[in-house]
Amino acid sequence: MLPSEIAQSISKQWPCRELQSRQLASLLGARVSSPSTIVVHGISATCKTTIVRNVLAALDVPHALVRSPECITGRHLLTKILWATLEALGQRDEWEKYGKGRCEHVSTLAVLLNECLASAFASSQQQEEPPAEQQQQPTRNHRNKFVLVLDGIDKQREAPPTLLAALARLGEVIPSLCVVLVLSTPPRPLFLQSAGVPHIGFPPYTRNEATTIILQGGPPPVSAAAAATLGLSDAVASTLYPHFVAAVYDSLVGPTASSIPTFRSICEKLWPRFVAPITTGETPPGGVGEWDFTRLLVKNRALFRQQGEGALVHHIVTEEDEAEPPVAKGATAISSSSSTNKPKSLSAASAPSPLPSLPYFPTLILTSAYLASHTPQRLDTIFFSKFSSSSLSARNKRAHHRRRLKLLSRAQLEEAASSAADPSTPGSRKKGKRTKTKITKSTLESAFATSSATTSAVGGGGGITGPSTILTARPFPLERLVAIYHAIDPNPPANPIRMAAVSDAIYAELATLRRLRLVVPAAGREGRVGMGSGGLSSGNTTSDTGEKWCVNVSGDWIGELAKTVGVEVGEWLAGGLD
Amino acid sequence: MDADLLELDVGGASKDGSQSQGVYIYRPADKFKSSGERPTKRRKVTRTNVPKTANSRPFVSLLNGDEDAKSIDLRYRTYQQFWSAQEAKIKGILDDVDSEVLANVLSFVRSTSPQTYDGCIPAALVTVGSNVSSLGRLLTRLNGQLTTTGEGGVIALESGDAPNLKTTLKNIIRFGITNTEGNEGYQSFVTDREGPRVLGYDLDLLAEYVKRKDVKKLVLAFRDSEAFDPGILADLLSLLSSWLDRIPLTLIFGISTSVELFEGRLPRSTVALLRGRYFEIHEASNCVDRIYGRIQAEQDGKFWLGRNITSVLFEKSSDSFQTPEAFSRTVKYAYMSHFFANPLSVLLADDAATTIQRDKVCEALRNLPSFRRHCEDTLEEGCAEQVRKLFEDDTFLLEQSTQWLKSGQQKMRDIFQCVGMMQRALKQFNIVKKSSISDLSIRALAGELQTSASYEDILRAIKTLDSDQMKLFARMLPDTLTASSDFAQIQADFGALLQVYQGTGPLKSGYDKQHSIVATTVVQQRVKLSKAKAKLPKENTEFTNIIDRFHALLEACLEETLIRPNDLVLHEIFLLDMRNPLKEVFSPRPRFAVERALSSPFDYLISSPGSSTVKVSARQPAAAILYQLYLESGSLVNVHDLWQAFYAVFESEQGSSCDERTAMALFYRALSDLKALGMMKSSRKKVDHVSKTAWMGL
Repeated sequence: MLPSEIAQSISKQWPCRELQSRQLASLLGARVSSPSTIVVHGISATCKTTIVRNVLAALDVPHALVRSPECITGRHLLTKILWATLEALGQRDEWEKYGKGRCEHVSTLAVLLNECLASAFASSQQQEEPPAEQQQQPTRNHRNKFVLVLDGIDKQREAPPTLLAALARLGEVIPSLCVVLVLSTPPRPLFLQSAGVPHIGFPPYTRNEATTIILQGGPPPVSAAAAATLGLSDAVASTLYPHFVAAVYDSLVGPTASSIPTFRSICEKLWPRFVAPITTGETPPGGVGEWDFTRLLVKNRALFRQQGEGALVHHIVTEEDEAEPPVAKGATAISSSSSTNKPKSLSAASAPSPLPSLPYFPTLILTSAYLASHTPQRLDTIFFSKFSSSSLSARNKRAHHRRRLKLLSRAQLEEAASSAADPSTPGSRKKGKRTKTKITKSTLESAFATSSATTSAVGGGGGITGPSTILTARPFPLERLVAIYHAIDPNPPANPIRMAAVSDAIYAELATLRRLRLVVPAAGREGRVGMGSGGLSSGNTTSDTGEKWCVNVSGDWIGELAKTVGVEVGEWLAGGLD
Repeated sequence: MDADLLELDVGGASKDGSQSQGVYIYRPADKFKSSGERPTKRRKVTRTNVPKTANSRPFVSLLNGDEDAKSIDLRYRTYQQFWSAQEAKIKGILDDVDSEVLANVLSFVRSTSPQTYDGCIPAALVTVGSNVSSLGRLLTRLNGQLTTTGEGGVIALESGDAPNLKTTLKNIIRFGITNTEGNEGYQSFVTDREGPRVLGYDLDLLAEYVKRKDVKKLVLAFRDSEAFDPGILADLLSLLSSWLDRIPLTLIFGISTSVELFEGRLPRSTVALLRGRYFEIHEASNCVDRIYGRIQAEQDGKFWLGRNITSVLFEKSSDSFQTPEAFSRTVKYAYMSHFFANPLSVLLADDAATTIQRDKVCEALRNLPSFRRHCEDTLEEGCAEQVRKLFEDDTFLLEQSTQWLKSGQQKMRDIFQCVGMMQRALKQFNIVKKSSISDLSIRALAGELQTSASYEDILRAIKTLDSDQMKLFARMLPDTLTASSDFAQIQADFGALLQVYQGTGPLKSGYDKQHSIVATTVVQQRVKLSKAKAKLPKENTEFTNIIDRFHALLEACLEETLIRPNDLVLHEIFLLDMRNPLKEVFSPRPRFAVERALSSPFDYLISSPGSSTVKVSARQPAAAILYQLYLESGSLVNVHDLWQAFYAVFESEQGSSCDERTAMALFYRALSDLKALGMMKSSRKKVDHVSKTAWMGL
């Protein structure tokens, strides 16, 4: 087959990739001698792997495909390459000949691959020798070519730094081998340390291409019964659908640079609702004529704004999943005795509250951890000391601090807003100030201002996705946590001797909070940002003398939680009230 | 010192048993090795000493060591018998409690596949709240169901199993294969296969296993998903999703905080790989209430936990993270400590009369406070003869005490029956929003139920019952009430009335709101409301009459039943009401103890005379002296100042004979002791200072 024929046959199934498949087909074709390395690159969901695979299948070239994300280490990858090659050459049973199926280094791989390819081709030639005496050259050529596809090789875990360059050399070392590297990041110039490697780019789909691909599938079926009885005939649907798809692309998919699968799922989700006026038999506005695209669009403005945007963000549990299986839900609904509770129990089952149900004591500890994290230590005596809490002067002092912080926070907000509006002016001075590690008084104040600004905006988002703080929580020693706990405890023990047991109990609960990653050791948090994993952040619960801890969740959420145990966070937090 | 704090297990613990002492000097169990010898070898050496014979009898001899082996054994046997009965009940509840969620999860696992979710991994998000252990039970039962039907199995992963990706994969593969094949099966699976040797973390192994066993559903459960490192989790999920075409995976996440928080912590790209549903497991308190109800209120009960223990138990389960298992362990401890420390608990055994040592037991019985009180009461009534007999005649005393025991146990059962009735009634007639058996039980065990609000509420509610509700209520009543002849009479009258009555709606009594009329009259420009009874039909008057009688009967019955359990004779035997061993054991106070030992060491050590008056003295251990000086300082302490003060203590007491070098050595030692205790650490701010890291009394 000619490359153009292959390209045509493939583009029937996977449209808009003719150019790339033609390029691939001509580079890997049976009659030509292929380049030793080919780079295929493009962002995710641009059909790279599928095209490569299908071109190879159509060309009928012996090939092996290794998905490198499935390989845990570099060694694992090399071993997999060897096995995949053996499998593709039908030499799986002879694995013992080739390094006993083990391959620990790229140089070993080169040798082993060379050996097994040579023997495979020799045996195939011997087999074909007698009858293929008069056969033409190409067949032999074709037999003498092996294509190795390494999918997603740039995402290989624990890859040695020279891995890519070394793999690119494989094809040079072994003449009959052609390595295809599939990358999902745009390649840097000369990243393989060798020039003249052909690159085939898979650019993201343009508007026209994307809509063509979606339209190829045709309009998704609207619940068949409704469509049949009420006028949404196939003809109407097929005239409306292209407009709809284009509208979805322009409003949702294009601006957010979403991929084809997202596009498709959004279309499938929104289409039935979009045509709902027709299927439910509503009369179009004006009472005359039929529903056309413009009328539907005007009718469904809100659909694009709300559901459409919701559809862009994937959640683990989506609404229709909840609505779908009524069987399981029915059980709970029936079990609730009276019909009046029914909707309540249903909603309770479908969406658990965003607040976790922590017991009383841990909640209080979490609240004090939050306060310890978000109050500067120097203000502790003013905010938490009980000695002068009722006196007028103390109250005045506290009010003064809150007011000052409030003003500061406002100023900070305005500044932030102005700098956001005008990107040319943001002072690098301010940035530098914020990234300083040492906490000076002024950074403390500015940081403090932002934190108070976020806590005062409780009415906003709610849940966890509230306003994000520029300032993350500051670490605190455990002693401070215990002291603040005693200060905010809404039911202080009548007998102060019992207090001693409290601090010991706090440690036990803190261990559980740590397991839930609500309160974490400050060192562990930094470690996670820096070095990734390690034993520090996973299981162990040791703690050093004076080790600092840090709260790991946002404030609004804790504020809500604290209310359930009778503590008003704003009352204690600097700048929280008024 | 506060006597309450020092109140230890005084129920009769033997003097030699160091395990049961509150304070003792710790001696390492290994007596063969003195401090100077080299450490033991790592390799296994056959133990030379004979296995302990004490294991056969874990209880020690009480009554000053005079108790004989038979009684000890009997106590132990009785404990085992009692506890195994209760344990079976608890297990039944634990198995039963989440069966609905189990069914839902199972149907989710069976019905979903990557195909139904457009290539996303099916994921069940199970919110467990503080009820952390429930997921483990759920998974075990899920695994049981899946393996018996041969559909697959459950791989339960804890955060400790996932320090990095490689180990996580190894564990997943190993757990998956050992689940059905066993450990040896796993070994042979890895080694005895044709083809090259596979790395332990290669999911090819699992895929091959799936293929060979024809597994349809493999459930991978993250038991404490918050504790997993988010980076590793994201890596793992992306890897698993690429294997989804070969391994039919379903994920279960146990979430203790909230779904939103869990989702927020994962990267978007990882979230996009998952799709699924929520499941909610009930709170632990629900389960704990049921367990308590079963243990205490069953009609075959012979031994009860008292008010103090109950309140300790419920306080702990409602205030902190506690699993139902931990709750039942606490109850077990209470049972154990009763039979361990109370020699009279032998009387609870069925065949007590034949095996016990009469004289010892009778002496102990005569020393019981409740027995003494009973004797005093009897004397006041003027039956001196009987009291004398009780004192002198062992046989009579034993007979009597068996009777007392029986009647006391019956009274306890009656109390709990009333509590159960009240709880059901409160729930049935919606009198209060939330009624738990725990509140009612605590009040009943304290003998305060009659003065409580719910008691009043119930009696008030009874007056307004209509005939249908009345019938319902009659079924809830305790046996003691239904057995009485008065009740039978009322029941008969009620039945007769219903036979005659032909109205459509249920009969209402005169106390019903519908039957009272509010009259408004204006007197001197003021509105006066006057309530008056409407004229009632004849049936209703009769019904009102019945209700009145019933009300009086019930009130009398409750009055009689709801006594203070601590007033019962010999309640010490069948009712354990000591707060302390339980509280001390389950909420230890190491920090408090350390602080106390350091700040007033003579609470623990034997003091020489005259030293207790001075606060800081040279006779105290060096660490304690230093600690008290340290308490007086601020957050940064100059070491030289500390040394000066330390030396001054010695100087003032010993005058010129004080050796500075010895004092210095003591000082260094004390300093390092405090450092080891985590009280201080060297400061970065000033070179010659240490910073204080612990404050007393927090």
